[in-house]
Amino acid sequence: MKEFSESKLEKILDTALKPARYTGGEMNAVIKPFDSADVTFAFCFPDAYEVGMSHLGIKILYHIINKQPWALCERVYTPWPDMADALRRENLPLFSIESRTPVRRFDILGFTLQYEMCYTNILEVLDLSDIPLRSCDRTEEDPIIMAGGPCAYNPEPLAPFIDVFQIGDGEEMMLEAIECVRKCKAEKASRLETLRALAKIEGIYVPAFYEATYNEDGTLKAFTPIDNAASPIVRKRIVRDLDKADYPDSFIVPYTEAIQDRSVLEIMRGCTKGCRFCQAGMLYRPVRERSLETLLKQADNLVNSTGYEEISLSSLSSGDYSHLSELCCALTERYADKKVSLSLPSMRLDSVVKQSLEEMQKVRKAGLTLAPEAGTQRLRDVINKGVTEEDLVRAVTDAFQSGWSTVKLYFMIGLPTETDADLEGIGHVAKQVMNCYFTVPKSQRARGLRVTASASTFVPKAFTPFQWQGQDPLDTIREKQHKLKDILYAVKGVNFNWHDPELSMLEACFARGDRRLADVLLAAWKNGCRMDGWSEFTNFEGWTKAFEDCGVDPAFYANRERGENELLPWDFIDAGVTRAFLWREWQRAQKAEVTPDCRKGCQGCGLQRFEGVCRK
Amino acid sequence: MKMLVVFEKHPRIRHIGHLDLMRAMQRALRRSGLPVKFSQGFNPHLLITFAAPLSVGMPGKHEIMEIPLAAEVSESEFLTKLNAALPPELNCLSARGVEDKHPASMASLYAAEYEIKIAPEGAALCDAVASFMAQETIMALRKTKSGEKLIDIKPLIYKLEVTSPATLRCTLALSEAATCKCDLLLDALCAHAGIEDRPHTLSIRLQMYGKDFIPLELL
Repeated sequence: MKEFSESKLEKILDTALKPARYTGGEMNAVIKPFDSADVTFAFCFPDAYEVGMSHLGIKILYHIINKQPWALCERVYTPWPDMADALRRENLPLFSIESRTPVRRFDILGFTLQYEMCYTNILEVLDLSDIPLRSCDRTEEDPIIMAGGPCAYNPEPLAPFIDVFQIGDGEEMMLEAIECVRKCKAEKASRLETLRALAKIEGIYVPAFYEATYNEDGTLKAFTPIDNAASPIVRKRIVRDLDKADYPDSFIVPYTEAIQDRSVLEIMRGCTKGCRFCQAGMLYRPVRERSLETLLKQADNLVNSTGYEEISLSSLSSGDYSHLSELCCALTERYADKKVSLSLPSMRLDSVVKQSLEEMQKVRKAGLTLAPEAGTQRLRDVINKGVTEEDLVRAVTDAFQSGWSTVKLYFMIGLPTETDADLEGIGHVAKQVMNCYFTVPKSQRARGLRVTASASTFVPKAFTPFQWQGQDPLDTIREKQHKLKDILYAVKGVNFNWHDPELSMLEACFARGDRRLADVLLAAWKNGCRMDGWSEFTNFEGWTKAFEDCGVDPAFYANRERGENELLPWDFIDAGVTRAFLWREWQRAQKAEVTPDCRKGCQGCGLQRFEGVCRK
Repeated sequence: MKMLVVFEKHPRIRHIGHLDLMRAMQRALRRSGLPVKFSQGFNPHLLITFAAPLSVGMPGKHEIMEIPLAAEVSESEFLTKLNAALPPELNCLSARGVEDKHPASMASLYAAEYEIKIAPEGAALCDAVASFMAQETIMALRKTKSGEKLIDIKPLIYKLEVTSPATLRCTLALSEAATCKCDLLLDALCAHAGIEDRPHTLSIRLQMYGKDFIPLELL
């Protein structure tokens, strides 16, 4: 076993890139004596510190766990490759940020799964911690490995590596899980007995208790429990009342700049717009709002405890929050003296309320980000993005009149039914935005127009109406990117960004993969793949070789269209929305039929099966 | 009025850079609720000046910053409130209220005292100190943005002594006119001792001085 040494660590920190990633000592970090806690939890965001420190979910759960006098939660991140190599060279185990305790000494190591391209980092963290990579190889001495977050809705590619998945909202489930581990530990229960006890908690999935069999064509034949503790269907957890849900009264304030370095108010959870490509929109149903009163109280707590200069409002669709204008007014008024500014990310463009914009303008003006997603009305109807060109024109004109001059436009390419006309449409939209700027009189508009069009590659995700759709093959994507580049080149003044199609292909594999992909993941990590989301560490050859060596065809997962009756690897999870609803939506999509927001009438997505959660 | 504040930057956070430290202090002041002064302009920020930035990787036992205030506050209230808003790794030791026109610490700075802990394998460095200091000139290669330059650092070393088997204590010039960093001293000492690979060291800044080696915060 590796042994931790403070002096060895200090030595390697002197040559590490950005050593402040590993040193801790931040304001509001919770320090508890390690050995006095009944349950110790190492919470890992499997990416770099500055990314992980930006994540709201961990802040919430860190607060909830540490609020229990008998429990302790500390943070762990994936060391940057230079540091990972240095730890290996010096034979040092990975340690927690707060108390520098080797990760392996914790009772539980939890991962949040925010995107598929962090999966190799999970193996890296386990390996650096001296924890066996596969659940079946772990001993009574090893921590229980947990995982949650949006990617846990298709947990299968990680099945052999994770002991326990938490599916759905974590606030209540996490507490039940650590209480269960505490009880098992007190009773000196074995690892197997502990996993069985955990499996009985609603929302928890223990992959070792299930078996998958396959048809000759490679599709899934059956997925069945093989342990009495396991239920055939795992139902996601829903926190019914966000006003009663715990929310941190302080955030850890990092010294080095995190990606999101500000106070965040989660104004609501869930979205009922029903965009068909959007996994979050399906997973986080139903919509639950926090009251104005709760939010203002939480804002006070955060402003006073963090000293942050900025508050941002977070949700999938902030424009739909019932009291948005009131909230913006109240916040700007409240903190004008303290010079705290307000920003609203993820504004859907049909909801850019002029009044709110003017409120925001009083303090600070960041760039405006809008997501038309597709270039034509037809394709926007296919994806059920209920936004028209008039909406867009109105929104950007308003913004330009109010002094904005930087606009980012997000599009996707490779959406179902896409044709060249849709790519042309993206050029048209960009042109329209430029024109809107020039229709505003010079005296009214700010100088320095900057329009950026960004095109990501569509990745079909589990639990969306597009879960049956095949992703465009790499060649098609590249061809479309080139066409779009030419189209946007002709629109003077627009910057164009696109993503590596290879990465989107890998994402597509893992987003809808099954257990057999775990071997590919392991092989890729052994080939040196890690920090896959960072362009400087892109190692597509490592991945290609891993697929070849494992005899797995990535096209089977990424590009293949699934049939109506195919058993999907995530079908055993009840995510709220039913398969029947998703299929109905898939059929409507192919006919470009729009489905209205369910606030205007129930669309029968399945959430009403959950008692008392859905507003009719 | 403005406050002259002495604070400690704990070894744990020695890798925090100067700008990050500045931001951490600004946020602490915001948390403290003290009547601090904001700059004018579109993005108002808190005005703080540090006597001298610490090198990345170096802790400080006795660092000095100046904080202009918008209203009168007692020294003890200032100290209590600011400390309550700081993590244990940043701790204020004293605060002294002076008038706005009080000369800036940065301008009065003359020298600083350091302690340098040398890894066991480098203990031979200590043996070379006496002959090192007996030299008439001590030539060292200073690397700057514009290139390398050979300079005599002897006049910039006010004191250099061995305090325990692998620990040095030194007082070096640190002023707007002339500065000698610990790294430069160590490079020269290694060269003198004929040690090719510089051993790992941990340096800490103990104190800053004005003219005649009066502690800077007392000026």
